[in-house]
Amino acid sequence: MNTVKVLQVCVCVLILGQFLVSGAVPLDCKDDAGSRCASISQEKLLDRVIQHAELIYRVSEECCTLFEDMFVPYPLHVLINQAGNTCHSKHIPIPTSKSEIQQISDSWLLHSVLFLVQSWMEPLLYLQTTLDRYDDAPNALLSKTKWVSDKLLSLEQGVVVLIRKMLDEGIMASSTIFDHTQSPYDGQFPEVLESVIRDYHLLTCFKKDTHKMETFLKLLKCRQSNKLSCLPQ
Amino acid sequence: MMRISAAVLILTLIADLISQAAGVSPPGKPRLTSCRSPEKETFTCWWEPGDDGGLPTTYALYYRLENTETVKECPDYKTAGENSCFFDKNATSLWVNYNITVVATNALGRNISEPVEVDVVYIVQPNTPENVKAVVIHEDRDPFVKVSWDKPRTADTRSGWITLHYQLRVKQEEDKEWVEYDAERQKNYNVFSLHSDREYMVQVRCKPDHGFWSEWTQTTYVKMPNYIPRERSLWIMITIFSVFIVFILTWMLKVKHNSVKLCLLPPVPGPKIKGFDKQLLKSGKSEEVFNSLVIPGFPPTTDYDDLLVEYLEVYDNEEQELVLDGKDLSEDSMKSKSPSDSDSGRGSCDSRTLLLDKCMEGSGNDQHNYSQHGETSWASSSECSESQGSPGSPESTDGRMKTWPVVFSSPQPHHHYQVGATKPAYHSVPEILKHSPSHAIPSNYHQLYLQDIPPQEGRFTKPPCRHSQSYNQFNMDNVDISEAGVPPSRSLEYVEVQRVNPENILLLRPLSDPNREPEGSDRIDEDYSKVKEVTSNNTLLLQRETSHQVVNDYSQDFESYADQCTAQQTPHPCKPVMTQLHSQDMRVMGNGYVDTTVLMPLYKQF
Repeated sequence: MNTVKVLQVCVCVLILGQFLVSGAVPLDCKDDAGSRCASISQEKLLDRVIQHAELIYRVSEECCTLFEDMFVPYPLHVLINQAGNTCHSKHIPIPTSKSEIQQISDSWLLHSVLFLVQSWMEPLLYLQTTLDRYDDAPNALLSKTKWVSDKLLSLEQGVVVLIRKMLDEGIMASSTIFDHTQSPYDGQFPEVLESVIRDYHLLTCFKKDTHKMETFLKLLKCRQSNKLSCLPQ
Repeated sequence: MMRISAAVLILTLIADLISQAAGVSPPGKPRLTSCRSPEKETFTCWWEPGDDGGLPTTYALYYRLENTETVKECPDYKTAGENSCFFDKNATSLWVNYNITVVATNALGRNISEPVEVDVVYIVQPNTPENVKAVVIHEDRDPFVKVSWDKPRTADTRSGWITLHYQLRVKQEEDKEWVEYDAERQKNYNVFSLHSDREYMVQVRCKPDHGFWSEWTQTTYVKMPNYIPRERSLWIMITIFSVFIVFILTWMLKVKHNSVKLCLLPPVPGPKIKGFDKQLLKSGKSEEVFNSLVIPGFPPTTDYDDLLVEYLEVYDNEEQELVLDGKDLSEDSMKSKSPSDSDSGRGSCDSRTLLLDKCMEGSGNDQHNYSQHGETSWASSSECSESQGSPGSPESTDGRMKTWPVVFSSPQPHHHYQVGATKPAYHSVPEILKHSPSHAIPSNYHQLYLQDIPPQEGRFTKPPCRHSQSYNQFNMDNVDISEAGVPPSRSLEYVEVQRVNPENILLLRPLSDPNREPEGSDRIDEDYSKVKEVTSNNTLLLQRETSHQVVNDYSQDFESYADQCTAQQTPHPCKPVMTQLHSQDMRVMGNGYVDTTVLMPLYKQF
C-alpha cells in the first residue's frame, strides 16, 4: 500500500510540475463563467474552427438540395432569385472578389466570420419552426436544420476564442448585436407558396454565407501558417 | 392612320413572305450551356447559338448582378473562344448571383436566351493536374508504382484560396473497368498489387472542396517488371515446409505406431479373474460362468462326506454353543447360520483359542460337554450358536478360517470332561471323545475317537452347526457321551496327543502331566510342525521340528500331523496323528506349511 501511495504522489507531483516548469505558455483562458478551461494551441483551434465551418457548409448545401427537390419546381429557381429578395447579409459590406478579400486584414476576416455566424442564429430558429409546418417535409431536412443551428453556436464560440487569442480582444459571445425588430419572420404565417419562396431564399442565402465563412477561415489559416506565400500577389 | 398601319402590315407580310421565299429568318434562340470557373477567380460562360436564320447573326451576352439594375455586357468574347464570354478577376464577384442572358441578333431580328443564375463559388471546376509521372520503385519489397503530378497551374492552393482533392485511376489496356484511388490532397500516390510484366495506364484528376471534378489527364503508361511476388514465394515455402513436416510426422507415427497408441490410448484393464470366461458371460448363463471359476475338486464335494469329522462341540449352555467344525457341502449345512459371523463380539468363543472359562457361562449341562485339548490339532473353529445358524456366508467362513480352534481339555485329572458329541457332521475340528474313565486307560488320558461322522443329525441333541470350513474333517464318533457332566473347570490346560492307537483313538494327555514321559522337553515348546509331504495314501508327513518355534498357543491351520514314524505306530517323540485327506485338497506351500485355503468349500451361491 505504501508503494502505491508513493507512486500516486509522484505522479501528482510530476503533472503539477509540468505545468509550472514547462516553458510552454498556455494561452489565456478567461471564460465568462471563470471556469478553468484546457489550453489549446492557436493552430489547432483554427483547424477545428475550419472543420466546423466546412461541415456546416456541407449540411446547408444538403438542406438546400432537399428543399429544392421537395418544394421548388425547376422554373421557380430563377424566379425566386430574380424576385429581388436579398440575403440580409448583403447589408454587410463583405468583399466579394478574391483580390479584395486577400487584401483585408486578419482582424477583418475574423470579425466578418463572427458577424455572419451571429446573423444567422435567429433565422435558423425561424427556419426550424417554419419547416415543421410543411406536411411532407422530409425528416432529414428537419434534423439537419436543427443540427446546423446547434453547430453554429459552437462555431461562434470557437471564433470568439480565436478572436481573443489572435487579436487579443474580448468579445461577448452572445448574439445580441442584431436588431430583432428587423426580422420579418415574426408572427404571421404566410401562405404556402410565399412560405416556400421565402424559405428557399433563406436556405440559399445560408448556403452562401457558410461558404463565405469557410473561405475566410481557410485564408486565415494559410496566412497563419505560411506568412510569406499567402500574401496577396 | 388606318391606312398607314394597314400599309405597314401589308409590307411586313410581304417582307416575311419574301424572306421565307429567300430562306432567311431571325435568329433562333441561343442557349447558355455552361459557366465554369477554374480557380474561383474568373469564370467563363459558353452558349450554343440557335438557328442563325440564314443571315449573319451577332451574339451578345448580358449580365446583371443580383440586386442591381445595371446590365453589363460581357467584357471579353475572345479569350475563351467561340461563343464564349470570359469574366476576368475584376468582373468576378463571389457569392453574388449573376443573371446572364445571351442575345442573338441578325438583320431580321433578335432572340434572347433563357436567363441563367450563376454564383461563381458553385461553378468551380479546376483544370487538370499537370505533369503526371508514374515510376516503378524497386525496394526490398515487391515492386510498386509511384504516381506523382502537379497541381493545375491556375489553381491557387498555396494561399488556401482553393483546396483541391486528387484522384487517379489505373487499368491495363485490355481491362474494361478502371480502378480508382483517392489521393486526397497529396500530389503523389503509391499503387501496389500490380501484376508483373504488364503495362498499365494511369490518369489523374482533381476537384475543389465544393465544385466539379476536372477532366482526366492524358494517359501515362507504366510497365511493371517481371518479378515473383514475395507473398507467393513465401506461401510456396510454407507449403513445402509443412508438407515436409507432415511426411516426417507420418513416418514417425508409422514407426512408433504402437508406443504412440499406448500413450494416447492406454489399455483399459479388463476384469482379471482367473478362469473367468467372458464368452460364457456373454452367452448369459451365469451359472456356467461361475461354475467355470470353480477349481475342480475345490473344495471337496461329494467326497467331503467321507471326511466328515465329528467335531468337538463345546458349550456350556444352550445359548453358548461353541462348535468347532468344518463345513458339510450338503445343503443341509446351510441351514443354521451363526448370528455373528465375525470373530468379534463373541469373546473367545470365536477366537482360536477356545478358552474354556469364557465359554462356560451357564451351568454345565449333561449334554454340554467339552474337553480341552491342549493340542494344537488344527481345525478351524467356527462358532455355532444355538439358533442353528448356518455359517453360510463365505465371509463368515473366512473369518472362521482364521480362527483355529483349539481343543482344550481340563488338566485336572479328576475332571472328566466328556466331549459333547452333539455335533453332527462337523469337519474341521476333531472331536475329541473322551473315554469314560472306565476304560482301561489312565484317567488322565483322553482319547479321541476318530470316526466318521454320519451326516445326519438326528441323533444329536443339538442341531448341527455347519460351517463352511475346509479343514480336514475328523469324523468323530459321538460315541457315548459320558453321562457325567463334569462341571466346567475354570482352569486351562492344554493336552497333547500322545499317540494314536490302532483303533484310531487319540491318546491325549495333559501337558502339565507330571507323569509324562520326558520324551522331549522341547516338545512342549513345539506347537508347529511342518508338513513335508502328502503321501499317496493320503497321509501327511510332517517334518521333524527341532527348532523352538513357540510363538503362540494357537494351533496352526494344519490338516493333521503326520509323522515319519507313523507307520511304525510306536510311541515316538512325535505326534502321531492320522487323518484321511485328499491329497489334492491340500497344497503344500513352499515352506512346508499347508495352505488350507484351498480347502474352502465352495458354496453354491457363490
